Amino acid sequence: MRLVRLTGSAVWYPVLWAILWGALSCFSNAALSQPAKTEPRKTIRLAFPAAETGFDPPRVSDYYSNTVNEAIFERLLTYDYLARPARLAPMTAETLPEVTDGGKTYTFKIRSGIQFHPEPAFGGKPRELTAADYVYSFKRILDPKVRSPWAFMIEGKIIGLDALAATEKQTGKYDYDTDVEGLRALDRYTLQIRLLEPDYNFNYIAAHTPFSAVAREVVEKYGNDTMAHPVGTGPYVLKQWTRGARIVLEKNPEYRGMAWDFAVSEDVDAELVRIMQGKRLPLIDRVEISIIEEEQSSWLAFKRNELDFSGVGSFRSEVFDEKGEMRPAWREQGVKAIRAIDPELTYTFFNFRDPTVGGFEKEKLALRRAIIMAYNREEEIEVIRKGQAVLATMPIPVGVVGHDPRYKPLNTYNPALANKLLDSFGFKRGKNGFRTMPDGSPLLLKYATGTTSLDRQFNELWKKAMDVIGVRIEFQPGKFSDNLKAAKACQLQMWGSAWIADYPDGDNFVQLLYGPNTGQSNNGCYESKAFDALYEASRKLPDSPERNHLFLEMTRQMEVDGAWVLGVSRERNTLIRPWVLGYKKHPVMNATWIYLDIDPAKAP
Amino acid sequence: MTAYIVRRLLQMIPTMLGVVLLLFVLFNWVGGDPAYILAGKISSEAQIANIRHQLGVDRPAYVQIGIFLKQIVTADFGASWSTNEPVSDILKTRLGPSLTVLVPLLVLGTLLAIALSLVVARFRRTLTDRMVMVACTVGMSISILVYIIVFQYVFAFRLGWFPVQGWGDSLWTNLATYAALPILIGLCVGLAPDLRLFRSFMLDEIEQDYVRTARAKGLSETRILWVHVLRNASIPIVTYVMAALPGLLVGAFLIERFFSIPGIGREVLLAVERSDFPVIKAITVYVAVATMFANLAADLIYKAVDPRVELK
Repeated sequence: MRLVRLTGSAVWYPVLWAILWGALSCFSNAALSQPAKTEPRKTIRLAFPAAETGFDPPRVSDYYSNTVNEAIFERLLTYDYLARPARLAPMTAETLPEVTDGGKTYTFKIRSGIQFHPEPAFGGKPRELTAADYVYSFKRILDPKVRSPWAFMIEGKIIGLDALAATEKQTGKYDYDTDVEGLRALDRYTLQIRLLEPDYNFNYIAAHTPFSAVAREVVEKYGNDTMAHPVGTGPYVLKQWTRGARIVLEKNPEYRGMAWDFAVSEDVDAELVRIMQGKRLPLIDRVEISIIEEEQSSWLAFKRNELDFSGVGSFRSEVFDEKGEMRPAWREQGVKAIRAIDPELTYTFFNFRDPTVGGFEKEKLALRRAIIMAYNREEEIEVIRKGQAVLATMPIPVGVVGHDPRYKPLNTYNPALANKLLDSFGFKRGKNGFRTMPDGSPLLLKYATGTTSLDRQFNELWKKAMDVIGVRIEFQPGKFSDNLKAAKACQLQMWGSAWIADYPDGDNFVQLLYGPNTGQSNNGCYESKAFDALYEASRKLPDSPERNHLFLEMTRQMEVDGAWVLGVSRERNTLIRPWVLGYKKHPVMNATWIYLDIDPAKAP
Repeated sequence: MTAYIVRRLLQMIPTMLGVVLLLFVLFNWVGGDPAYILAGKISSEAQIANIRHQLGVDRPAYVQIGIFLKQIVTADFGASWSTNEPVSDILKTRLGPSLTVLVPLLVLGTLLAIALSLVVARFRRTLTDRMVMVACTVGMSISILVYIIVFQYVFAFRLGWFPVQGWGDSLWTNLATYAALPILIGLCVGLAPDLRLFRSFMLDEIEQDYVRTARAKGLSETRILWVHVLRNASIPIVTYVMAALPGLLVGAFLIERFFSIPGIGREVLLAVERSDFPVIKAITVYVAVATMFANLAADLIYKAVDPRVELK
C-alpha cells in the first residue's frame, strides 16, 4: 500500500514540478516584463546570429563586432544615410578632404570640440579628438602586435608607414612617436595623408570602421584588453557586455548630436524625410543586442515581440506569398519589410595553376566556360537561397560603383552549348558517360567544400550540373582555414567564395582577379596580362565613365578566360515593427540606429 | 586509504602527459591554421608569418609542449587568440550559466531515474513495466533537436510559459525563468536512458539471495527496495553519475545555442570553429583533470557505500 502511494507521487512529481516551475516562470516573466522605472523609454532590440569578438576597431574583422564599433567610434568620413548609390559624407571631418598632388595627398580638417567619452585613462579631464588621434589610429593598423586584419588596406600605400613596421621587425619596438612622412598632424585639427601612388579610393578607407579614432591613453592603459574597453566619440557607449550573449549600448551623453537632414534619393525616401527631417539625433536611448545563433529562436523571439528587427531567412514563405507580397497576418500587425541586395558577390574560382582546369590553352578555356555554362544558378537561388538572391552578371555587384545593369554576360546557363563546346574541343565521353581530357587522360574535378548541410546542398547542385555535361566531380571537405591556406598557395582546384564590399567601389571587387594579388586575395591565382593591364589603368583614374568602361572590359576579359563561375548577390529581407521609424537599409553602414526613432504611441 | 589516494594522484601525471601529447598532435594535425582565420579577408605571407610568430605556433614543437605543461602547472592558459580575453575569465564567466542548467538537471534527473527505476523494478515483467520500457525506447529514439524545437515552439512561443530565449544577470532569474525550459527538455531527453539503465541495476539486485532472505524475514517491499536493493545498486549508479560529472564542464552546446545561454558549450564550439587553441587546451585539460578526480571520488564512494570493497 505504501509502495503504491510512493509510485503515485513519483509519477506525478515531474508533472507537479513542471507546473510549479511553469507558474513560477510565468510569474517571473510577468514581473520581468514590467518596465523598470529607470529604463530608458526608447529602446531598440535586435539580434545578431553570430557571436562578436570584441570592440577594438583595428583588431576585429567580423561583421557584428564592426557593427557595434561603428556606433561607438567615429571615422573621418561616413556615408549619406539615404543617398544611393552610397555617397561619402563628412563625419569628424568638417568636409570631404582636399585631394591634391594628382590623388596622392589627402588633407582632412577635423571639427573642433569633439569629445571622447569620459574614461579614467583621461585623468578626469575632458579629452578632445585631434588629428594626432587619427595619426595614432592609422599607425596602429600596421603595428605587428595588433595583428590587424585590415592592414592590407593601407599596406604599401602611405609614405614611410611600412618602414615603421619594418623597423619593428629589427628592433622589436613599434615606435608610435616616430615621425612618418606620409601621416602627419599639421596642426591640432589638420591631418595630412600622403600616398606613394595615386589612390582615388582612399576616402573609402577613411570611412571604414577599422580606421576609426581611438585614444592612445586608453589603448596604453588596457594593453591587450582593449577589446573590452571601447572608448570613442560616437553616439553610443558600451553599457553592458556579456560576451557571446548580450550587448547593451546607451546614448553617449558627451555626443555632440546632429540633425536628421538628408535629401530624398529614391521614391521610398519621401516618407522617411517627412517623418524624420529636422529631428535632433540620436533619439534612441538604448540598443539591446542579443546573440541568438539559431534561426528558429530569433524568429520566435521576433514573433513574440521580443525583437524589433528580424531577418526572414528560411521562414520566407511564412511572411511572403508566391507573388512576393506580404501575407495579411503580417500586414495587419503593421510589420514593414525592407528588401535590399547586399553589396556582395558569391563566386567559384578555378585555379589557373591547376593541371586540369588551369592555364590559358584553348581547350582549358573551353573546359572552364563549359563548366560555367552548365552550373544552374537559377536553381541555386530557388532551392538553396529560397528566392532571396539575384544573379550576378559582373564581378561588381549591384549597388557598387562600376556595376552596369545593361551589361550582357557571356557565359549564361546553357548546358547544351556546354556539351557542344566540350565535344568540339575533344573532351570525349567514355562508356560510363564521363568525359576524358583531349589527350585521353581522366577528367576529374576536385571541388573544395565545407562540412555543413549547406555545403552538401551546393555539392548536390554541382554534381547534378556536371553529370549533365559528363564531367566527373568529387568534393573534398575541409576546414575553412585549411581551404583558405591551400587556396592562397594555389593548391585548390575549385572553391566557392563570397566577397562583401569593404567599400562600395568596383575596385574592391576586381582586385580579387588582379595577378599580383595571388597569394593574398586572388585565390584563383588568375594571372592575365590583359586583365592586369586594364586593372592598373583603372587604378589611376577617379570614379568616371572612363573607369567604368575599364571595369566592363575587365569583366569581359575574365569571362572570356572563364576565371570564375559568377554566383549571386544575396537579398536581405528585414522585417521591422511598426513603431520603428526612419529605417532604410544602407549598403555599407550597419549601425544605423542613430538615424532611427521610436513611435511611443505604437510601441508595446 | 591515504597511500591509495597518493598512488592514484601520482598515476594522474602520466595520464595528463598523454592528454597533452594527444591534444597537441591532434591540434596541429587536424586543428587548422589559426593564422589564416585571424588574418582576415586579405593577407600576405608576411602577415601570416607575423601572426604565427605572435601566437608562438612557429616555435619548435618541444618548446610549445613545454609552454603547455607550464600552463597546466600554473593554471594560466593565457588569452584567447581570437578575442584576447583571458582564458581564466572565459571559464569563470561561461561555467556559471552551464552549471545553472546542468547541475539541477543532473540532480533532478538522477533522483527521478532512481525513484522511477525502483517503481518499475517493483512491477517487473508486468504490463506496466513493459509499457514504461516501450515508452523509454520511443523517447530515446527521438533526437534532442526535436525535443528542443517542439518544446521551444509549444511551451515558450505558443503557451508563453517560458521565454523563447535569453539569459539574465541573477542566479534566481536564470534558474526560475531562463533555465527552466532547458532543464525540462534535458529531463525529458535524459530520463528514458537513465531509467532503463537504473532499472537493469535494480533488477540485478532484486534477483540476489539477500533479497529473498529479507522477504523471508518479513521485511516490506518498500524497505527491501529503498534500503537494501538501492544501497547495493548504488555502486553502478555512482559510477554512472561520476562519469557524467566532467560533462558539466563541457556544457550542453545544443541547448545553449537554442536558448542563447552564454555557457561553456557554445564557447567550446566557437573555439573549435576559430581554432582558438588556448581555450581548447584549457577546457580539455580541465575535463581530463575532472574525469580523473571523478573516478577517484567514485572509488572512494564505493568504499563508503559498501565496506566490502577494498581499495588496492
